[in-house]
Amino acid sequence: MWIYEKKLQYPVKIKNPNPALAKLIITQLGGPDGELGASMRYLNQRYSMPCRSVAAALTDIGTEELAHLEIIAAIVNQLTRNLSIEDIKKSGFDAYFVDHTTGVYPVSAAGVPFDMKYIASKGDPITDLHEDLAAEQKARTTYDNLLRLIDDPDVCDPIKFLRQREVVHYQRFGESLGKVLETLDSRNFYGYNPAFDKARLSGNAQVPFGKR
Amino acid sequence: MNEQNKLLKMIQNYSFWVTEIVLYLDTHPGCRQAMKHYRKYTKLYNDAVCQYEEKFGPLTMYNNRSDDCWKWANEPWPWEL
Repeated sequence: MWIYEKKLQYPVKIKNPNPALAKLIITQLGGPDGELGASMRYLNQRYSMPCRSVAAALTDIGTEELAHLEIIAAIVNQLTRNLSIEDIKKSGFDAYFVDHTTGVYPVSAAGVPFDMKYIASKGDPITDLHEDLAAEQKARTTYDNLLRLIDDPDVCDPIKFLRQREVVHYQRFGESLGKVLETLDSRNFYGYNPAFDKARLSGNAQVPFGKR
Repeated sequence: MNEQNKLLKMIQNYSFWVTEIVLYLDTHPGCRQAMKHYRKYTKLYNDAVCQYEEKFGPLTMYNNRSDDCWKWANEPWPWEL
């Protein structure tokens, strides 16, 4: 289960509102490569991981993604404080404003609401970990694109932190994939799905789930 | 029921008590009786957690008590118990 900690993982202190920028950054909340999808992807994939240490990586990274979700929401919130109707009209924030005022709602930069179709949970550890590696790179590219569009250092700072975390997560998922592969037959990694087929894992792998 | 499951059941009980009291206090922050319950059950919870973690490994990532063994990742996950 989860317990809430009343703090952001990384501080967000934005002095100047910028609704046009909020409209773009909100994509990391509800967009195709955003933090909501990331957390749902990893936390739901945990149950079919044959190695406990990989289930640990998914738990801990999935939990950190929830913290990132909150950082993005805090950025969006601070960028849309104290807006005048004139600001809203000029910035192109008006379409979002009509539906959500300045409330935080997970949509992509193009305004498409979050969709669970952005994620996969395939029930095969090799397949899922490749999905996760790709997801971290896609999120990294999105942050790089955002950094090309941001000139406020107050906003750049937390976004750079989040970008860096994608790189670290990619690293850990690479190691996790290595761990899973170690437990499989190196002549044919795809000979069976360790999450479904009951064949025993070989080598010096972690204790498989079925074994209590 | 083995000792681990017994302790865990106790922790689940206390933590549910705390959750329920916290929800109540969120909308009734001035209720002294609820505050008394809050103190009682958070203490029971914390003591039970300490006892559990000494014997069976960490319940949160901050509490891996052993210096030479990474139990957080290697002890069973809740859906295995």
